[in-house]
Amino acid sequence: MADVSSIEHPTLKVPYEILNKKFRLAQKTLDREVCHVTTAVTELERVLFTENRSAAQISTLLGGVVEKLNSFKRKAEEATQEEIECGRVVKRRVDHLKEHDSLNQAVVAEWKKSRLDRLLVEYLLRTGCYNTATKLAASRGIEGLTNLDVFLVAREVEQSLAARDTTKCLAWCHDNKSKLRKLNSSLEFNVRMQEFIEFIKGDRRMDAIRHARKHFTGQDTAHLPSIQRCMALIAFPADTEVCPYKDLLSGSRWDDLIAQFRGENLKLYQLSSQSAFSVVLQSGLSALKTPHCYRGSTGHNPDCPVCLRSLNALASPLPYAHCSQSRLVCNISGDQLNENNQPLMLPNGYVYGQKCLKNQTDIHNLTLSCVKLHEELDKASFKAVKVFLM
Amino acid sequence: MDACSAVGRDIDKVLSKFTTYSDHASSTLGGLQANIESLKTDIDNVGYGDVSESQAMQLTQTLGRVKEAVSRLSIEHRDLHSSVSRVGKAIDKNFTADFGCLANDEVLTGDKQHLVNEVICQHFYREGLLDIAEEHIKETGLELPHEAREPFFELNRILGALKNKDLGPALTWAQENRDKLREQNSSLEFKLHRLAYISLLSQQPVNVSQAIEYARTYFTPFVYHHEKVIQSLMGCLLYVKGGLENSPYAHLLSPSQWTEICDVFTRDACSLLGLSVDSSLAVCVNAGCTALPVLLNIKQVMAQRQVHNMWNTKEELPVSIEFPDMCNFYLPNICFAMKLEVSDHKNKVKLIYCVVVKKSKIVKILVNSKLKITFYLLE
Repeated sequence: MADVSSIEHPTLKVPYEILNKKFRLAQKTLDREVCHVTTAVTELERVLFTENRSAAQISTLLGGVVEKLNSFKRKAEEATQEEIECGRVVKRRVDHLKEHDSLNQAVVAEWKKSRLDRLLVEYLLRTGCYNTATKLAASRGIEGLTNLDVFLVAREVEQSLAARDTTKCLAWCHDNKSKLRKLNSSLEFNVRMQEFIEFIKGDRRMDAIRHARKHFTGQDTAHLPSIQRCMALIAFPADTEVCPYKDLLSGSRWDDLIAQFRGENLKLYQLSSQSAFSVVLQSGLSALKTPHCYRGSTGHNPDCPVCLRSLNALASPLPYAHCSQSRLVCNISGDQLNENNQPLMLPNGYVYGQKCLKNQTDIHNLTLSCVKLHEELDKASFKAVKVFLM
Repeated sequence: MDACSAVGRDIDKVLSKFTTYSDHASSTLGGLQANIESLKTDIDNVGYGDVSESQAMQLTQTLGRVKEAVSRLSIEHRDLHSSVSRVGKAIDKNFTADFGCLANDEVLTGDKQHLVNEVICQHFYREGLLDIAEEHIKETGLELPHEAREPFFELNRILGALKNKDLGPALTWAQENRDKLREQNSSLEFKLHRLAYISLLSQQPVNVSQAIEYARTYFTPFVYHHEKVIQSLMGCLLYVKGGLENSPYAHLLSPSQWTEICDVFTRDACSLLGLSVDSSLAVCVNAGCTALPVLLNIKQVMAQRQVHNMWNTKEELPVSIEFPDMCNFYLPNICFAMKLEVSDHKNKVKLIYCVVVKKSKIVKILVNSKLKITFYLLE
């Protein structure tokens, strides 16, 4: 259960944030519609108050009220339905996470498989492999459990910024205005600044000044130094070599914008900058890493993941697993040797677990073939061996 | 599952409140709309004249109700916010938001990125997601040698056939690799033949002589190891007339036999090819998910006790992780005195009580009289 609460925070928090956003949007819509209805009603009430009883006029105004009321009802219904749908997404994910604790082993195995797929989808999205992520989510039917949409919307904005087009980014900023303000985000300001710089590059200095007048007045005083530096750019030609103005004109500023957008997008949905997949992979490699894995190729266990070439290289800077006790395991059955399964030593020196030797002797009556040496041995000659494990 | 139950309870409350609100809004507004519509019809019927006093009165009242209703609905909606934010608080309280503190940024990025991509790609091949693997290669520009992919294509082809109850490719493969399988003590080929024989007996109409012919041809080499099983298989012939499902051998018809053969094939084939049975990535991720809460806990404890530098020793994790399943790939021999692994055989000493101890330590133990166990060092 504990591992669910360790890594599944994003699984639930993101749809919650979407629900929150939908709620705020709905509240705004409702308030606006209330305003419209109230205005129309007040207008009609005013007419009635002036003792004007003209049926035609009243009917027209009443028609206006009806229209506003209908609009209110429709928008309220739409908004509430969307909120309920968002809530249902959260519920579906919570129900999915509950399956982790199921008593049915097959369900748990299936759940673990699904968890790996979810982690992979998120990692692929973060590293930009959008098509692979979409295909994987579709083939396993886990789209509803992943945050695919968040990243795909972000991808559109990133692509448009890479094409030096600011429309989608500004639309996104407008969409998430209140949350970005809470985060003290400077993204929109930086985008506006970049637009100004593009005007300068295109030698449209009058347009640049008009743009500055529109967007730079009323900005936070913290931005003042950057604004001043930008305005100074007007005095320089577009191919100037003077720093820092040369850097302002550099194309790499678009990459910085993309990086800033990516970071802000993650913060908006309270996603960590590290993907859950990389954290889990590192912890797993560390917990499985033993000195055996780095001792050359003799005695390698092909099942050990850390001995796989690529994982071996990845795990080398990580800490080893901590082991404070010897572990002994019966070679035949794979069960641990402990007080319930006493180790017994055969005359040839090999030690096996008591349980499995008992099973073997039942089949072959009194003699036992030592599996390793294929020798026949007499049961009476087995000696109990005490192994201290501290 | 307290974490999930807590959040589940809160989200259920939110959903029920929203549904109630929605129904309430619909009915209230619906009622008002109907009222106003009927009033409007009446007023329209008046035509060019004036409305009556009573109509005006009714209208004023209804308009008042409309204003009151819409503003009340807006306020009620605002009140729902507390339930919504309670969900968020429950999530924050029950789930760890900052697991990223454990991970090292540089380990998986930069020039190591292609290694991670390689592991993921191999995982896709292992799982039979060949088209997704191809897409991944395209998007990452990965270069995987053909030999790395070949075994998986073969494996997945045969597994696909087995899932369709087609034993042909599996049998061909088993026969080709008979010697290597025998070295591994694998009974895959026999199990495949057994399944083929049962299939012959369960098809309608049953061709008994065909089944016997099959048994004669294929069971003979396996008599030494699987005598009892072959005897029971031949015993099935007695029940063919009455239907195998009514016989003591009904369990042989179970569909779990087919899932079992897929598992056996996967296990033996992977073993033969020197591959791990389960996807390495899956094992690693499952291990990581088990390890993570323990490590997060210890980090929290260390932070509380203000032991910050212990985490920075890159040699070993500060705590051991217990794995319930078969995640123990190597069995370390730990010196019980020094709590370190004894790697070389020459350093290990087996005493008469079979205690594994580092040789150099024994002298110290004999000298140190605080320990209660006495040792006899034989020459």
